[in-house]
Amino acid sequence: MRPIVLHGHERPITKIRYNKDGDLLFSASKDNIPNVWYSINGERLGTFDGHSGAIWSIDCNWDSTKVVTGGADNSLRLWDLQTGKEIANIVTNSPVRTVTFSYSGKLVFYTTDSVMKFPSELIVFDTTIGEHLTGNDHVARFPSGAQKPTAALWGELDRSLITGHVNGQITKWDLRKPHDKLNVVEEHKKQINDMQYNVDQTMFITASMDNTAKLFDANSLELLKVYKTERPVNSAAISPIRDHVVLGGGQEAMQVTTTSAREGKFEARFFHLVFEEEFARVKGHFGPINSVAFHPDGKSYSSGGEDGLVRIQTFDPPYYEFKFEY
Amino acid sequence: MAEGELIANESGEKKEENSTNALLENGIEEEPSFSDPEDFVDDIKDEELVPELLRKKPKEYEGFDTFIVVDHIPQVGSDRFPKLKTVMNKLFSKFGRIVNDYYAMDENGNTKGYMFIEYETPEQALEAVKVTDGNRLDKQHILAVNLFNDIEKYANVPEQWDPPKPQPYEDKGNLRYWLLDPDCYDQYSVLYDGGEMTAVFLNSNPQPTLIKERKLWTETVVLWSPLGTYLATFHKRGIALWAGEEFTQFNRFAHEGVSLIDFSPCEKYLVTFSPQLAATDDPQAIIVWDVRTAVKRRSFHADHEHIVWPIFKWSIDDKYFAKVSQDTLSIYETPSMMLLDKKSMKIPGIRNFSWSPSQNLMAYWVAEDKDVPARVTLIEIPSRKELRAKNLFSVADCRMHWQKAGDYLCVKVDRYTKAKKEKNESKYSGLYYNFEIFHMREKQIPVDSIEIKEGIVAFSWEPVGSKFAIIHGDGPQLYSVSFYGIKQGATVSLLKKFENKQCNHLFWSPAGQHIVLAGLRNMNNSLEFVDTSDFTITATTEHFMATDVEWDPTGRYVVTGVSFWAHKGDNAYWVWSFQGRLIRKHALDNFCQLLWRPRPPSLLSEEKLKEIKKNLKKYSSEFDIKDRMVLSKVSKDILERRKRMMNEFRNYHEKRTDHLKAQKTAFLELRYGDKNQDENEADNIEEETVEFFVKQEEIVIDEEE
Repeated sequence: MRPIVLHGHERPITKIRYNKDGDLLFSASKDNIPNVWYSINGERLGTFDGHSGAIWSIDCNWDSTKVVTGGADNSLRLWDLQTGKEIANIVTNSPVRTVTFSYSGKLVFYTTDSVMKFPSELIVFDTTIGEHLTGNDHVARFPSGAQKPTAALWGELDRSLITGHVNGQITKWDLRKPHDKLNVVEEHKKQINDMQYNVDQTMFITASMDNTAKLFDANSLELLKVYKTERPVNSAAISPIRDHVVLGGGQEAMQVTTTSAREGKFEARFFHLVFEEEFARVKGHFGPINSVAFHPDGKSYSSGGEDGLVRIQTFDPPYYEFKFEY
Repeated sequence: MAEGELIANESGEKKEENSTNALLENGIEEEPSFSDPEDFVDDIKDEELVPELLRKKPKEYEGFDTFIVVDHIPQVGSDRFPKLKTVMNKLFSKFGRIVNDYYAMDENGNTKGYMFIEYETPEQALEAVKVTDGNRLDKQHILAVNLFNDIEKYANVPEQWDPPKPQPYEDKGNLRYWLLDPDCYDQYSVLYDGGEMTAVFLNSNPQPTLIKERKLWTETVVLWSPLGTYLATFHKRGIALWAGEEFTQFNRFAHEGVSLIDFSPCEKYLVTFSPQLAATDDPQAIIVWDVRTAVKRRSFHADHEHIVWPIFKWSIDDKYFAKVSQDTLSIYETPSMMLLDKKSMKIPGIRNFSWSPSQNLMAYWVAEDKDVPARVTLIEIPSRKELRAKNLFSVADCRMHWQKAGDYLCVKVDRYTKAKKEKNESKYSGLYYNFEIFHMREKQIPVDSIEIKEGIVAFSWEPVGSKFAIIHGDGPQLYSVSFYGIKQGATVSLLKKFENKQCNHLFWSPAGQHIVLAGLRNMNNSLEFVDTSDFTITATTEHFMATDVEWDPTGRYVVTGVSFWAHKGDNAYWVWSFQGRLIRKHALDNFCQLLWRPRPPSLLSEEKLKEIKKNLKKYSSEFDIKDRMVLSKVSKDILERRKRMMNEFRNYHEKRTDHLKAQKTAFLELRYGDKNQDENEADNIEEETVEFFVKQEEIVIDEEE
């Protein structure tokens, strides 16, 4: 099927995410306005106006009532999804790199960059407590150490936090005793750009600058699978219905201007989850892909690129017919 | 020193006691005694006491560094002495003014056969030794010239000579075991991880087999010997050769700072060069080694810091090696390592030379000089008989290319229409190019000539056969590729010309017939596989950013690579069939270099080879069956591997799902609070119908209907 191309952003896309039902698609970009779209036809439902800098991350809670965004303007904002109104504006010391709703939808976990004298931090707050929404109180707040987190997830039962770092490290933190790291693994050699869960949240896939994506067990952080490419991987997602993963990436954005699209390898690449073998590529973007996400029904996926476009790709029948022999 | 003082003080005190006593007794002051007591033993050596003075003590050999000793000069009577003196003076005054000379004479006034010469500076003496040592004065007299200072060195050679003990025979195994591979798979070495890892692979089907992999096996690069027996690795302290099935160390060649090496064609000798030693004018800058014994056979000075490598070119049978320097061609003989006929050839204006790849003859060329034309000469070695010479006019440069079988020599001549002298450097303009083809196997060696007016990008002979290919044109992106052929006894003829090709490199298959036209580096990375039997292009493809193209030694496979040294990123090598079908891509982190292990020439006779070619169909069907069996086995292997992976993964996932089920209530509590809504969750869902505008179609209805 022809892709639906969403022309809503003026700058590179930084993050796209579906809500739990999959009817809505959220997109954040380096322009200051996150968008929300109907995923079925690409019609824009609305925007979240207020930020004054690039948006690095966006997330929606499970019952699709609230949206949280964080960006380079040193602020984290909570929005009412139905009205698009700002509920809270938490001012931070430095840019907000990642934001994530917890499984319960009550807690929000965000991380900040280190800027000058402010160290990079991991902060968790409760959206139901008024004092937390002013930024003056938290559930937990602690420094990340020398290596800033660049990707983040909630751990099992909202009791732990998992962060991927700029040096390729993955750290698991206990939310109740945040100063003791539960686990640290160093399977990646370079920055981790993205981490996404599979459908039952037992595994997650990482995307790294070291040209690989890797599959980890969410509890033990045991390395399960490796997907190799020749270019930095910016984002990776696991299909909810089939044993497939999709990887998006390409040549680094800063080098793109010196190279042709052919060299950049800006295709979305499909690998078999278990066999680690690549079986398909989808062309389209003319810059690196910064974020990919599977629709929760597994029948389509979306990609957001450095070219400022979001492309919703619905799978054709051959996709379902294709099977690996084993 | 301190100890001495201590002793002196002690004895002084004693004396003082004595003297006071004496004063008391006699009232007269007695002269104190400064001599040592009788039992005093001096336990300090002069070296400890005054080392700084001793160091200045003149030594026997000092101040003689301007002296040389000339041995083996003719022994003559007084009647012929003046003549000898004139000859010696003439020979040795070349290096500087002779301050003094002394001829040893016996009581009858006959010279004893040696003499001393004093120069003004040590440099002159050194130069005299370097140049004249080993020179032949006449038939009977070969001069032995040494620095006077070196005499001491030689004097210390022990009188008695112990014959070296015979070494026990060490079985190095079959060094050519890789040729016994039943499937005739070839090996190749790969350097990757930015040079940290070196691996040797067997190019087996469908996946290569790793034979050996070592970390930091080499410090720079690796190199196969020309027949593939040894793998050479480079280290700061020297070269190591590895051989045998396990790649055990075969020999080491200690040469500090070695950077370039060259094997002789039969692998008997190894030449190593150290720029580090060359910079200090060390006489060990270039060393010729015996490969099998690792014995240093001869060392040489490097004339310049920046030398053209290989400095020595070897004849095909390892019998001779030669180098060219200012107006001289020096040919050395093996195994003596001495100059052929004890002297270099004086050839004024010689620029370069090249050995024939099949016989002991060489071609050299001499540059133009005022009214003397440039000249290409073929000589036979060791007789130095001139076989053929050809004069050439308006020559800027020459390149000699031998056809691999030695049947033809092609000399590419860069000719100019105008030449300007600028600061001792000639500048040429209006260049055009001639290819002079020498038919080596025909009587009188006739010469053919073709002329091309455009710039020449590349030239290459077909390794087997008598075709050659030229890339020419004035670019910068599009060139023409011309193929010429020579028939026995006929002149050169143009066979085919491809126009507007984007390529700058030619790679012939070692088996001939097939050629790859490649646009490497700053070209467009296109690869064209051409079958030159009928000039069909079997494949047009590309390997993005490819920097290298390497044929395997049998001409079955081509490897294209993107080397980390030239391009950061995309480092990989791809294996193609000889017709340009991509067989596999092999991405390696920071892949640097791939080298095929060479094969020695086939032992089959020419008739046998022809017979095999004729019956190729018969053989190929056998191999087809074999290939199919391998493939079916492989697909079976892959399926099994997948099955195994899938089972492992399923097991893992089941365990995780069980774990998850146990926590289901905890998860639900997180979202729905204490009241467990799991059972009636479905009832609580509100159905909401949202209509979407998905598709818009416009249908124009004809109004008249």
